[in-house]
Amino acid sequence: MMLPAAAAQLEILSEFQRVDPYGAVLEADRRAGEAWAMPPAAGAARMRGARGGYVSFRLVAKLSRPGPYSLGISWSDPAIQTEVFREWFHHMEDERGYYPDALAPVETPYRSRMPEPDNRVPKQTAQSFWIDVWIPWGAKPGTYQGEARLEADGTVVSRPLELVVLAATVQKREVVTVDHNSYGSGWIGALYPEARQRGGESFQSSDELFGLIHAYHRIFYEHLGVFHQLGYGHGGKVGPEYAPELEGSGRNRRIRSWRLFDRHYGPLFDGSAFQGTRRGPKPIPFVYLPVNPEWPASFLWWGEPGLEAEFVNVLREMEQHFREKGWTRTVFEMFFNHKKRYKAFPWDGDETRFPEDLAYFKEYSRLLKKAIPPGSPVQFRFRTDASWMMERQWQELAGVIDFWVLWASMVSWYKEAPRMLAERGDIVWLYGGTPSVEENAAAVTFAPFLVWMWGATGYVRWLTVSPGEDPWFRFEGGDTVLAYPGERFGVTGPIASARLKVQRNAVQDLTLLESLGMGKEKDALRTEASRRFNGARLEEWWPPRPAIAESPAHELSNATIGDNAEPFHQLERGVSARSWLDVRRWILDLAAEVK
Amino acid sequence: MKTTIAALAGCLILTAVASAQGQSSGLARELEEIARVASVMVDGDACQRIMTRRALEFMDKKDPRDQWADSDNFDVNHEPYIAVKKTLMRLARLAPFPVDVNLWIPVEGMPGRVQVLIRNRHEMSQFWRWGALHQELFPPMKAVLEEGKRVTVTDKPGWISVLAPVYNSLGDVAGLVEVVTRESVDPKENVK
Repeated sequence: MMLPAAAAQLEILSEFQRVDPYGAVLEADRRAGEAWAMPPAAGAARMRGARGGYVSFRLVAKLSRPGPYSLGISWSDPAIQTEVFREWFHHMEDERGYYPDALAPVETPYRSRMPEPDNRVPKQTAQSFWIDVWIPWGAKPGTYQGEARLEADGTVVSRPLELVVLAATVQKREVVTVDHNSYGSGWIGALYPEARQRGGESFQSSDELFGLIHAYHRIFYEHLGVFHQLGYGHGGKVGPEYAPELEGSGRNRRIRSWRLFDRHYGPLFDGSAFQGTRRGPKPIPFVYLPVNPEWPASFLWWGEPGLEAEFVNVLREMEQHFREKGWTRTVFEMFFNHKKRYKAFPWDGDETRFPEDLAYFKEYSRLLKKAIPPGSPVQFRFRTDASWMMERQWQELAGVIDFWVLWASMVSWYKEAPRMLAERGDIVWLYGGTPSVEENAAAVTFAPFLVWMWGATGYVRWLTVSPGEDPWFRFEGGDTVLAYPGERFGVTGPIASARLKVQRNAVQDLTLLESLGMGKEKDALRTEASRRFNGARLEEWWPPRPAIAESPAHELSNATIGDNAEPFHQLERGVSARSWLDVRRWILDLAAEVK
Repeated sequence: MKTTIAALAGCLILTAVASAQGQSSGLARELEEIARVASVMVDGDACQRIMTRRALEFMDKKDPRDQWADSDNFDVNHEPYIAVKKTLMRLARLAPFPVDVNLWIPVEGMPGRVQVLIRNRHEMSQFWRWGALHQELFPPMKAVLEEGKRVTVTDKPGWISVLAPVYNSLGDVAGLVEVVTRESVDPKENVK
């Protein structure tokens, strides 16, 4: 984009409009501009928000020539809190251009140069900043004035801001749980070389490691989500910090030490890891147990009395330990992730496809029930992630599995499922991936919206901490990352992505809608929300059950499932960059009626 | 003084190297012994019954619309699988240090291809590429399968594998075991 010589410009854009390093709105997001009430050049940018929530937007500093600049933002009332993040322009591999996503926190006034030295974008003329405005629960409703200010090349550009704080408040319990999944801790040392060096030889059991694990929990918690780390491999090897240390065999199998387990999980189960966060200390709501076919009972004893002895001894001790510690607000998930294709066990614990495998679930359910005393205040659940044969599993594993994580594409065939499962007391989540940065800025809102539309309660993004080999200069697209390693920016811990913040704001909006106490009219709310989101009618969210749903699981393939999930994928493709703006505007209109 | 220190340091290094070599050969001897027992104890007929016919048919399926057709259809017969796995697990317990005994077999209908069919709890292997359903036959395995030899492999620094044949009731080599350990076990490796 060409600017007049010596000009400095400061633009205000919605959270759904990303720009490139030259100030042009990305092709994928261009439609979003239509819905954002852009102020005239001299007018105030107006925004609204509920108490206990965020209002977000972008500031874009544009300079006509290289040189220093500074950017600041202020409010007339210190009750309004602002956080500013510089957006990193990821250079895509294969010369696919630049996309902003990683958000480096900065102090204001922010002083730097264009082009930004570390980002190394040739002839960069624009730098975008993500702005989070936090409205505390105790803020007084009313209108607040603010100012965004850019100084460069002897020019000062000021843009007035106007924030309307509504009387409505966002309740503290999210209506949708977005889960950010990960595997083990081995990746942490690779992403944090400085911390690894500080931790030295014992990094894997160091305060540095546990500090980083807790930091990942914190960032997702602060973004209205949760974080899962699976602590074992497909062959049953358990990372030492994920399980108490065991000793003995058969009837003598016992827990020898809780040392690493308690260092890892203690602050997460009592909530102290979240001290100092805006949402306050709170125990994590969910966690994987280390239980797998090789832990705590050796698979060597499958079908023999030793299996029960080892399993029950250890699980009983775990229940007792958790009860004594008061760790009763977390759901402990017995979850089998292994697949037979990884050649360590003869059955699929995850995405089970073959009917013979269901017998193993029944046996482990029996063992769990035997181990846990009736009426225990500690919450144990048997979770499975189901796809191929989910319908058969609901029937055959009723009373065995009480936590279902279902492949979203396939569950679209079974309209009654979420309600049926919830009515029998089961937890129902969905699972899938994460949109890459090349999709439009609102694509990440589809998952939480889907969960809400379908009456489920959670969504697992299967991998969210893996940025690829070089996310900064040869980015693969980010469909497995929502929080980046922060060391490059002097942060010992993860930093958020813009997509994570867009997702947070969508969860916040849905929670606000729920906070308004309109639950009785849920279908009416869904109808209107859907119309605004992607133009779909309510009935279109549950396409007709395809004939293929009657086929045995082994006759299905990814291709046939994909073909028969096409109506569902059309819903996803119907999301544009402006989809959520239209939903939000309506929710805020409803919230504005609260006095 | 400098010379003395250098000589002393040299001695220490030599001692450390000798000690490491001693440790390696000690480990190798233990693995050798387990491998020798495995050749007798592992039931080659049971190994050959593990794969289901259907799964074998999918092993070399290439479907441009379904990149996971082979692995999604990977299935085993539970009874022989469990029987052989338990034998492998017991064999691994012969060592007082972490050892895995993995089962490798040639892939029927795919000459020159081999698959690890049973892995174990320490998730160690010098050959398995994480996630691979089957792989090109490794030269040391060829000698085991074709000549019934026992072979020690130390290609990866710090790793020792002893490969030994597994026989069926006809006296044919049905597959091989990889008896494997590392001088320094990585507690995080393959926890994913």
